[in-house]
Amino acid sequence: MADLGVMALLLGLALSAYSAIGAIIGEKIGMAALVVSARRALYMTTVTAIVASGALINAFVQNDFSIAYVADHSNTLMDRAFVWVAFYAGNEGSLLYILLALSVISAISVWFAPKRLARSMPWTIAILAIIQLFYFGVLAFVASPFELLATVPLEGRGINPLLTHPGMFSHPPLLMGGLIGVTIPFAFVSGALIAGNYGDDWIDVARVSAIITWGVLGTGMLLGAWWAYTILGWGGYWAWDPIENVALMPWLVMTAFIHSIMVQKRRGMFRMWNVALLNIAFVLAQLGMFINRGGPVVSVHSFAASTLGTIFLLFMMVSLVFAFALFLWRMPQLKSDRAMESFVSREASFLINNFLFLAVMGVTLWGVLFPVFSDLARDVSVSVSAPYFDRVNGPVLLGIVVMMGIGPLLPWRKTSARSMKQWFVWPIIVGLITIGILVALGIQRPVAIFSFGVLAFVATAIGEEWWRGTAARHRSGDNWALAWWRLVNGNRPRHGGYIVHISILMLALGIIGTNFYQQRTNGSLALGESLVIDSYRIEYVDTFDSSRPDRIAQWAEMTVYQIDPDDYKQEISFAKAQGSSGFTLKDSTLRPNDELIDTIEPWHGFYIDFNMASVRSGIRSTVVEDLYVIPRDFLADGRVSLAVSINPLAWWLWVSGPFFIIGTMVALWPQAAVERRPARKRLKGESEGEL
Amino acid sequence: MASRLSFVAVEQRALPASPVTAIFAALLLSLLFALSGCIKESDITLEQRAHQLAGELMCPVCNGQTIDGSSAQIAVDMRLKVRDLLDEGSTNAEVRDYFVLRYGQDILAAPERSGFSLLAWIVPVIIVLGGIGIALLSIKSMRKSGLEAQPVGGISAVANQKQNDLSDYLAQVDRHLSVGSGIKSDEPNESGDAPASEKAKS
Repeated sequence: MADLGVMALLLGLALSAYSAIGAIIGEKIGMAALVVSARRALYMTTVTAIVASGALINAFVQNDFSIAYVADHSNTLMDRAFVWVAFYAGNEGSLLYILLALSVISAISVWFAPKRLARSMPWTIAILAIIQLFYFGVLAFVASPFELLATVPLEGRGINPLLTHPGMFSHPPLLMGGLIGVTIPFAFVSGALIAGNYGDDWIDVARVSAIITWGVLGTGMLLGAWWAYTILGWGGYWAWDPIENVALMPWLVMTAFIHSIMVQKRRGMFRMWNVALLNIAFVLAQLGMFINRGGPVVSVHSFAASTLGTIFLLFMMVSLVFAFALFLWRMPQLKSDRAMESFVSREASFLINNFLFLAVMGVTLWGVLFPVFSDLARDVSVSVSAPYFDRVNGPVLLGIVVMMGIGPLLPWRKTSARSMKQWFVWPIIVGLITIGILVALGIQRPVAIFSFGVLAFVATAIGEEWWRGTAARHRSGDNWALAWWRLVNGNRPRHGGYIVHISILMLALGIIGTNFYQQRTNGSLALGESLVIDSYRIEYVDTFDSSRPDRIAQWAEMTVYQIDPDDYKQEISFAKAQGSSGFTLKDSTLRPNDELIDTIEPWHGFYIDFNMASVRSGIRSTVVEDLYVIPRDFLADGRVSLAVSINPLAWWLWVSGPFFIIGTMVALWPQAAVERRPARKRLKGESEGEL
Repeated sequence: MASRLSFVAVEQRALPASPVTAIFAALLLSLLFALSGCIKESDITLEQRAHQLAGELMCPVCNGQTIDGSSAQIAVDMRLKVRDLLDEGSTNAEVRDYFVLRYGQDILAAPERSGFSLLAWIVPVIIVLGGIGIALLSIKSMRKSGLEAQPVGGISAVANQKQNDLSDYLAQVDRHLSVGSGIKSDEPNESGDAPASEKAKS
């Protein structure tokens, strides 16, 4: 197996080198056949990457511990389903996975590339082949997943216990695939620029591939957050860890790109800007790869591999120089067709939104690099973590949400005062009423209240447009559902965008709720004892062991009661005097208004070989709030020590995911269907004698 | 058609400027009032403060985690110490200082706002304000640039129209040759672009 894998990698290396050289020389000397063979060589690299990946996966299936990577990342106890996860669980395997993803999407995008890009395709192929060449080279000579062990161990080390979670089947592949996917729009646009194809031929390929990559990356990050929330057991979901940040940064830039590309499509403006955005996104993705492979900053996620760090740093530098040299070379040709007409227009608001996205990216990058900078400049190490990023990025992110309400309502070119009033009166009123109601209810935290007002503003803006559009269609005879459906279908990119905006509002709701209103209490319970926080009483009723040879693990069964705080007046005031948010009860007798609402089963395991604890939090989730029980430890005296928190609005974080995916898909839905529509409509109209 | 027009007309009359302004002002005032009297620190328990502080201190032995998130023994001990210090009546700043004194500056999850570390806080402000400034300036310069705002049908619009026609034509050629089946150009759907009620009006 190892031999097959190594051979596939070497063959892929040769093929990608041939593809790059063949495409460039074929184009230069005008030999079409050579370009065709370069293209085919690029398809063949995909085959070699698939064979190499297959060889590694098969080695896992066979428990072939003669391969060091397999022995390090699995054992015979491992559930066979996790072979797929073990494949990319380590440094070498994840590089192979990235190569696999890159070569597959390269082949697909080259295969389906529109014919009118023919002139720039050789360059696109060359760029894709060179990037593949880099990964083949690294895998074949520096970080081979097929390295053999001198003596074959009887048992492997096993898979990292934190990875044995359903989220791990999709979170890392989507994240890594999304990061490397930025290569595709970059390669197409760079290819077009090198070939001197300055028209807008590349818009659709770049837009479609960028949105796919962006959607995949976004979904990957959300899944990662969900995984952290359910398994990492710290009650959070986003830590502003360097690795999270380097995935977020290209995503932010891509978000700016998929907005401003619409301006180019519709108005022929922002060409230079769009090319610059793609270049930045690509370089940031390379920065992500570098920091992930032994970069200069500490992170929970990074693979410790210092030699690779240098190689990836070099590759990032080359990408940076290439991208910006190309940009500067072709800049004079990338002029806009039209001038900006007004500050109050959709194109102007998109530009401001773009700069806000870039500002968040820049601030995040500054935060990631500041510790390095501080070390170098004055030899004092500092940490830059969540409290910093929350503070500096929070306001800008809120500004982006505000723009999300304003931008789409502004027409292209310019806006009349009347139309402003017509469109913005209701959103502003609803936003202010929301703030008023929250204040009247006695809700605390002014910043959060203001943010909720902003969310209401944006939601009303979207709702208003849907309402008016649907009502207009309804009046012409469609029923409500059909009217809405036709509205959405009439302009999928726009309305798909709205669905994504709604998912962002949901996400924002969850982020504001959990950040501003989380409550937390700690306590330890013996069997039969209860912990009370807010209006919940959690009773520890049973426990059972789930240890295995490789771990010590225990479940706790807990029943959750909804309580009436009046029943517990004495205890509550006593706890408050002690400075606690919650309190424990020794006896298990229920008070009159206690009502059983749920049973949760938090789990705590300790993996001996990895010296690593893993937990499954007990979560009772409702639309309003999550009750979130982290088992910190099962103590020797039979007690379990708990951290219990109430995470308001956390449910919305995860509901946003499906909306995000659906919205992205609506925006992407193949244009072929749209092209066919007018004809069908006309036919229908004729036969019914309408119009 | 008549009903649609009257719908629009009624809608515009239904929201005259003065009551709207009044409501706006009233709500804004109530908001300001609320903001002034909203924060009641007394409601925040020591435990909440301990939780908050735990999120501001790094765990010394775990890569990039705060003690709030870590289950390492030292994190457990540090959390207890935070709570003890608060019980003794320390302020948040005193708790932070206590740990900085023992573990160094990098125990803080966010850099201090003084000395060299102030840079960490100032640069983001410059980035954000600079970004917005550049955006506004570039909109301004795009308005004043050689390409003056052309009425539809002006020279550049015609040139652009030609270009569009050409690319539509090429797209059509593509279709007829039935190639490039995956990614096709879409025809700009200008009518679907304006907000729907504007469309209903026209």
